[in-house]
Amino acid sequence: MLPTERLEFSVIPHRRRLSLPGGARLVVWVIVNVEEWDPTQAMPRTVLTPPGGGAPMPDIPNWAWHEYGNRVGFWRILEVLDQHTIRAVLAINGSAIARYEPIARAGLDRGWEFIGHAFTQRSMQKVEDEREDIRKTAASIRTVTGKSPRGWLGPGLTETWETPDLLAEEGYEYVCDWVLDDQPVRLKTRAKPIVSIPYTQECNDVAMMLIQHHKAGEYYDRAVDQFEQLYGDAAASARIMALVVHPYIMGAPHRLKYLRRALARIREYPDVLFWTGEEILDWYLVQSPPP
Amino acid sequence: MIPRERCTYSAIVDRPPLILPNRGRVVVWTIVNLEFWDISRPMARQVLPAPTGQVLLPDVPNWSWHEYGMRVGVWRFLELFAHLKIRPTLSINARVCEEYERVARAARDAGWEFMGHAWEQMPIHQVADQAAMIGKSLDTLERFTGKRPMGWLGPGLTETEKTPDLLAAAGIKYIGDWVYDDEPTEIHTAHGPLITLPYTVELNDIPMMLVQHHESAYFMQRCIDSFERLYREGSERAKIMAIAIHPYISGQPHRIKYLEAVYEHINRHAGALHWTGTEILEWYLAARRNQ
Repeated sequence: MLPTERLEFSVIPHRRRLSLPGGARLVVWVIVNVEEWDPTQAMPRTVLTPPGGGAPMPDIPNWAWHEYGNRVGFWRILEVLDQHTIRAVLAINGSAIARYEPIARAGLDRGWEFIGHAFTQRSMQKVEDEREDIRKTAASIRTVTGKSPRGWLGPGLTETWETPDLLAEEGYEYVCDWVLDDQPVRLKTRAKPIVSIPYTQECNDVAMMLIQHHKAGEYYDRAVDQFEQLYGDAAASARIMALVVHPYIMGAPHRLKYLRRALARIREYPDVLFWTGEEILDWYLVQSPPP
Repeated sequence: MIPRERCTYSAIVDRPPLILPNRGRVVVWTIVNLEFWDISRPMARQVLPAPTGQVLLPDVPNWSWHEYGMRVGVWRFLELFAHLKIRPTLSINARVCEEYERVARAARDAGWEFMGHAWEQMPIHQVADQAAMIGKSLDTLERFTGKRPMGWLGPGLTETEKTPDLLAAAGIKYIGDWVYDDEPTEIHTAHGPLITLPYTVELNDIPMMLVQHHESAYFMQRCIDSFERLYREGSERAKIMAIAIHPYISGQPHRIKYLEAVYEHINRHAGALHWTGTEILEWYLAARRNQ
């Protein structure tokens, strides 16, 4: 299905007002992405190119650079989220659940929400059997949480024409790949509609640090600028703001403090809620019941 | 062997802390990289691509940009480290001992530790006989310094699946290619264990200046941000912080003052130690036994 077949064009000021409990204005949700990079494949991202160019395999230095995030960086990010009593959303590759069992356990112990992030870290357009991948990912998550995941984020937000249909058929209730709004919206699928919750490519450390090559301090500046604007916009109707981190990027010693400062600044506002994706979903389903 | 066969996943929080002598908190490991760029091949890095993106052979502008480091830039490093009484670890293409004997001699006379860095600067995947190249490189460095090198860093940190086995067979004790931790680790090879030391692609002027295109001053900021975080963590467990520099990059007149400022900042802190790779190795082997 084409995107335009999945949802009607709609402008945000013309929609019915969405209200949060207790007079809150805005929801912030924090998504921590945990991946497993297969050392026998090309690396999903690189920090260092080989001398003289080319793409020799295996790519040990970039594999190791990512692995640092799961050995060391994740635990720094965890400490910051604990300090701010934030329950994050763990977007985790199905294969990473067993490989990085201490990380899954840390998320489980804190009541974080686990969402599907494909079985391995590669484009959904390269996956041979997409439905099987989506199922296997849910099964991996069930081994830790005992529950099927309700949300899904594609690796690099990738989808085929069919992905939302398969997700809905397999029982997923929301998807994060559609960064087209500041509020949740419904997408039509072959099965029942699936909710799109606003994820972000803007306040996302992959885009900022690895593609745009910003200084670490840009994470703080951009998060606060984004927050202040959305907080103002939310006077009219509730808004959702996502903050995305990857342990191998924001968990580097030189970057962590900019995440900590951004969260501290946003935590100063009593009328801002830190929710998980499923809390946003359940609220939205009540605010805007299915037709 | 793929990385998983060499070393299983380990979360830093699950390990007993390593302790430094004399209330040390952070070991700063400075690595100076000296390379030989063969003018008959594409240059290892480029500051200036040719107009219309043509591949130039010979690529005189980029060859001479690198050559500046050997003629001028490296002497700024030698002066700085002599002044600070710091002995860096020299990651050196063995061919430098022949082609730039004057530079290699200055480093040797200053007491720097020589670490193997292949014969010349190209991805190790393109070397026809890796074992012979490793042997020739180590023999050349041994003849030049009188000591067999203990450590090795791949050009651009490159490795094939057998490189660690070949290095262990050649008598190498530690490598810098695995940037996946803040602590040394042990990996398995076909010829006994090999220690990984935490080299860096974060505090490294190649990714920072040539890949991410940061401003010169950002090198100082990132190093200081890293140091402050690691220094804090170093009150509970030993931390290693590598700084990796190249004379054609950080030896530029506009960059050297930021490098000087990094060491000025670090040296204001009690418990910051400046060690060579072999000093870190020997401490680690002993500290691990005492755990």
